[in-house]
Amino acid sequence: MKGLQYITVFCLLLVSTLTTAQDYKLPPYQKFTLKNGLTVYLMEQHEVPMINVSVVLPAGAIYDGDKAGLAAFTATALKHGTQKYPKAKLDETLDFMGASVNSYATKESAGISASFAAKDKQPVFDIIYELLTQPTFNAEEFAKEKQRALTRLAQAKESPRSVIGSQFDKLIYGDHVYGNVTGGTTSSVTVLDVADLKKFHAANYVPNGSAIAVVGDFNSKEMKAELTKLFGNWKKGNSQSTNFASAPIATANEANVLLINKEDAKETTFIIGSKGVSRNNPDFVAIDVVNTLFGGRFTSMLNDELRVNSGLTYGARSSFSALKNSGSFSISTFTASNTTEAAIDKALDVVNKLHTDGVDEQMLTSAKNYVKGQFPPKYETSGQLAGLLTSMFWYNFNESYINNFQKNVDDLTLDKAREIIKKYFPKDKLQFVLVGKSADIRKIAEKYGKVKEIQITDEPKKKAF
Amino acid sequence: MKRIFLLLTVFVTGLTQAQLKVNDVQSFTLKNGMKFLVVEDFSIPNANMYLFYKVGSRNEYQGITGLSHFFEHMMFNGAKKYGPKEFDRVMELNGGANNAYTREDITAYTNWFPASSAEVMFDLEGDRISSLSIDPKMVESERGVVISERSTGLENSPWNGLMQGVSGQAFQEHPYHWPVIGYLDDMKNWKQADLERYFKTYYAPNNCLVVVSGAMKLAEVKRLAEKYLEPIPAQAAPPAVHIVEPEQTGERRIEMQKDVTTPYLYIAWKAPNAMDADYYALSLLNDILTGGRSSRLYKSLVDEKQAATTVFASYNESLDPTLFGIAAVTARGTDVANLENVIYTELEKIKKEGITAAELEKVKNAKLIEFYGQVETINGKSNNLGTYEIFFGDYKKMFEAPAAYNKVSMDDIKRVANKYFNKTTRTVGVLKANTDK
Repeated sequence: MKGLQYITVFCLLLVSTLTTAQDYKLPPYQKFTLKNGLTVYLMEQHEVPMINVSVVLPAGAIYDGDKAGLAAFTATALKHGTQKYPKAKLDETLDFMGASVNSYATKESAGISASFAAKDKQPVFDIIYELLTQPTFNAEEFAKEKQRALTRLAQAKESPRSVIGSQFDKLIYGDHVYGNVTGGTTSSVTVLDVADLKKFHAANYVPNGSAIAVVGDFNSKEMKAELTKLFGNWKKGNSQSTNFASAPIATANEANVLLINKEDAKETTFIIGSKGVSRNNPDFVAIDVVNTLFGGRFTSMLNDELRVNSGLTYGARSSFSALKNSGSFSISTFTASNTTEAAIDKALDVVNKLHTDGVDEQMLTSAKNYVKGQFPPKYETSGQLAGLLTSMFWYNFNESYINNFQKNVDDLTLDKAREIIKKYFPKDKLQFVLVGKSADIRKIAEKYGKVKEIQITDEPKKKAF
Repeated sequence: MKRIFLLLTVFVTGLTQAQLKVNDVQSFTLKNGMKFLVVEDFSIPNANMYLFYKVGSRNEYQGITGLSHFFEHMMFNGAKKYGPKEFDRVMELNGGANNAYTREDITAYTNWFPASSAEVMFDLEGDRISSLSIDPKMVESERGVVISERSTGLENSPWNGLMQGVSGQAFQEHPYHWPVIGYLDDMKNWKQADLERYFKTYYAPNNCLVVVSGAMKLAEVKRLAEKYLEPIPAQAAPPAVHIVEPEQTGERRIEMQKDVTTPYLYIAWKAPNAMDADYYALSLLNDILTGGRSSRLYKSLVDEKQAATTVFASYNESLDPTLFGIAAVTARGTDVANLENVIYTELEKIKKEGITAAELEKVKNAKLIEFYGQVETINGKSNNLGTYEIFFGDYKKMFEAPAAYNKVSMDDIKRVANKYFNKTTRTVGVLKANTDK
C-alpha cells in the first residue's frame, strides 16, 4: 500500500514538468491550390539534404465496384512504367539514386510516398508526375503481377493474422463500401485486366480532390514554382459523382460469431469488436486517451489481464480504426487452442469492468501522460511529417490537432472519460471473428452469439452474415 | 572508376554535412565498468535509453535454450523498489514506453520517454539491474507468455520454422544451432536457479553498454548515471563462448512439412562475422542480389523467369561466424528444384563475370541513403551506435562505414562471391506441403 501511495504523490509532482516538456508545435508550412484543384503542402526541414513526398488521391478500394482489388492493382501498376520510363528503366533509375517511390491503395484513398536525396529532386519529381498522369499499364507486366498476386492471395490463407482483418471488416460493414477487400480475392483478381485499370485510372487519378505534400531540404519559393509548372499540366478531372462512403452502415442487432476453420491451427486468433467512430469525431483525442488505458499500451487493462496476470497470450490490445465516414473498434489477441474460452471470457470481463468499475484519477493521469509523452516521436522525420500533411488534407483537420493536442489531452476530466466509455466503448451485441481449429472451438463459439462457420480458404462474402 | 568514386565522395560529404558527426557522440565509463555513449539532440523534447547486454542465445547450452529471451521478459517483472508490474506502470505514468529484443548475441532494452522524465528512467533501470527479484509466480505466468510468443510466430509465418531448421543443420556444435526463442521442452523446464545464475553472471554493469540520445545534456546523463547506476557492483567477466563451429565440408539438405500453397526455399552459406574484412563486400553483394527491383535475383527470379513470388537475401552483423541466406517462395507453375537452380545460375554469373561498375555504384548510393535513414531519428541513433560498438568493436566504425563501403571494388565483390558461395558450405532447406514426394 505504501508503495502505491508513494507513486501517486510522485506522479502529481511530475505532471507540471511534463506539461512544458511536451509543448510540441508543428513546424511552419505553406499550403496552396493549383488551378486544376491539386492542393500542395510545402514544409522546409534542413537538417539533412533529403526530401520526402506524400501524395493522396481519391482512388481507394471504396471505388472498386464489383471488381475487388481494382484500386490496389491500379496503384501497384503505376510502377509498371510510362512511355518515357518503361519498367526496367524506371527501376534502374530509382535504384541507382537510392530513391524510393512507392504507390499503394488503401480502403479510402490511393497514394505515393517517396524519399530521395535533395539533389535528385528534378528526376524524381519528373517520375512521380509521369507515374500519376501517364502510366502505360503494360499488359505483359500486368499479367505477371496478377500471377504473383494470386499466389500471394493463396499464401495469405496460411496465416490467421493476414485474413482476419478483412473478414472482420466484412462483418462490421456488411455490403457498405468500407467492407471492400482492398487486396482483392482470387475470383475478382482472376478476371481483372488492364482495360479495367486504365478506366479506373482515368476516372480517379485526378488533381482535384488530391494533395501532394513535400517536406525536406529545399527552398519553398523555388519548389512552389517548380511544382506549379510541373503539376499544373495535370488535367482536371470530373469530381466523383457519388460519395459511396456516405451511405449508412447497418448496425448489428445481435451478437454474431464468424468461425473460420484452419485445420492445422494450434492457436485461436480472434477479434471482438463493433462499429467505431470516424476520424472527424470531436472526441477523437479523448477516445484515444481512454483506449490507451483500456487496450492501447502494455499496462492497459486488457494486456494486464490476458498477458501479465494469466499468461494466456503474448499480447492483447484494442484500437479504434477511423475512416472518413465511419470506423471500427476491435479487441484483438490470440491464445493456444485449449485456452480459447478462458481468453475470450477474460477479454469480455475486462470490457464489463471498464463499464462497471470505470476509470480512476490515477489511471487517467497515467494515460494522459503516456499519450503526451509518446506524441512527439510520431512526427520526428520528414517522411512522418509529409504523411501527416496529406492526412490533414484527407480527413480535413489542421495543425490545431498537433498544436492543441496537449491541451485537449489535459482537458479530459474523469467525468468526461466516463461519458466517453459509455458513448463509444461497446459492451453488447459484439461481433466476433475466430480463426482456429473449428472442431476444437465450435462449442465455445456458440456461447458468444449466432455462429457462422467458414473455411480459411473461403473468400469473404458480400455480407458475412 | 576514379570518376565514380569522386562523384560518390561529393555525395557522401553532402549527405553527412548537416547530420550526426563522430564528435557529436560523447562517451564515459562508470567506475563499475558500465560504458555510456551520449548524443545530445534537441529536435524533439524526447530522449531514449538503450541498454545492450552482451548475452543472447549464443551464451546458452542445451537444456536452458531460450533462457536469454525469457530473461528479457523477466526483467520487467519486479525488483526491490519497484515490485511486480511497477516497472511498466511507473514508466507509463511518466510518459515513457519501452520494449526489448533478444538476438543470438545480445539482449537490448529500449526506453523512450519525455526528457523531463529521465530521472525516473534511470531510477527504474538502477533498481532492476541492482536488485531484480525473480518471483516464482511471475516465472510461471511469464512462461505462458513466451510459449505463446513462440507459437504465434510459427502459426503466422512459414519462415520461422524453416529458418530455424536450416540454422539447426548449418550449425551442429556452435550455439547458433538452436533458435533464440528456445526449444519448447526447454521452455517448460527453465529453473529458478538458472534464472538467478543468469542474472548474476550477465546482468552486470560491466557487461552492459548504455546509449542515450535526445534532449538531454551530457552532464545530466552523467549525473543520473553516477547517482543510480554507478553504485551497482561489477561482477567477474562472463565465461567466453568457447565453441567454434567445425568447418562444413559438404552440402546439407533438410525438408519440412507445413500446409503451404507453394514451397518455401532457404539456402544459407557459412559467412564471416562483422569484424571480418569481407563484411562490407558481402553486405554490398547482399544488395546487388536483392536490393530493389533492379537487383539481380529480383529481376531474374521474380520478374523475368517468374520462378518466385518473392526473394530476399540476408546477412547480418554477428559476433561469431554466421550465415548468408537467400530466401524465396516458389511461384505456381514451377518447381522448387528449378527455383534453386536459377538462383545458383545467377550466382555463378557473378562468380565468373563479376558485376558492372554501375551496379556497384548503385548499391553504394543505396547504402548511403540507408545509412542516413538509420540515424534520422533519436532511436535510430542509439540503436545503430550501440550495434556498431558491440559488433564492430567501436561506435566510431559507424562513421567510417561509408568510406569502408566506398573502398569495395568490383573485384572484391567477385572475390567474395567465389569465396563464400560454395556447394560444400551451404545448407538448403525446403518447406512444402508434401514431403513424401
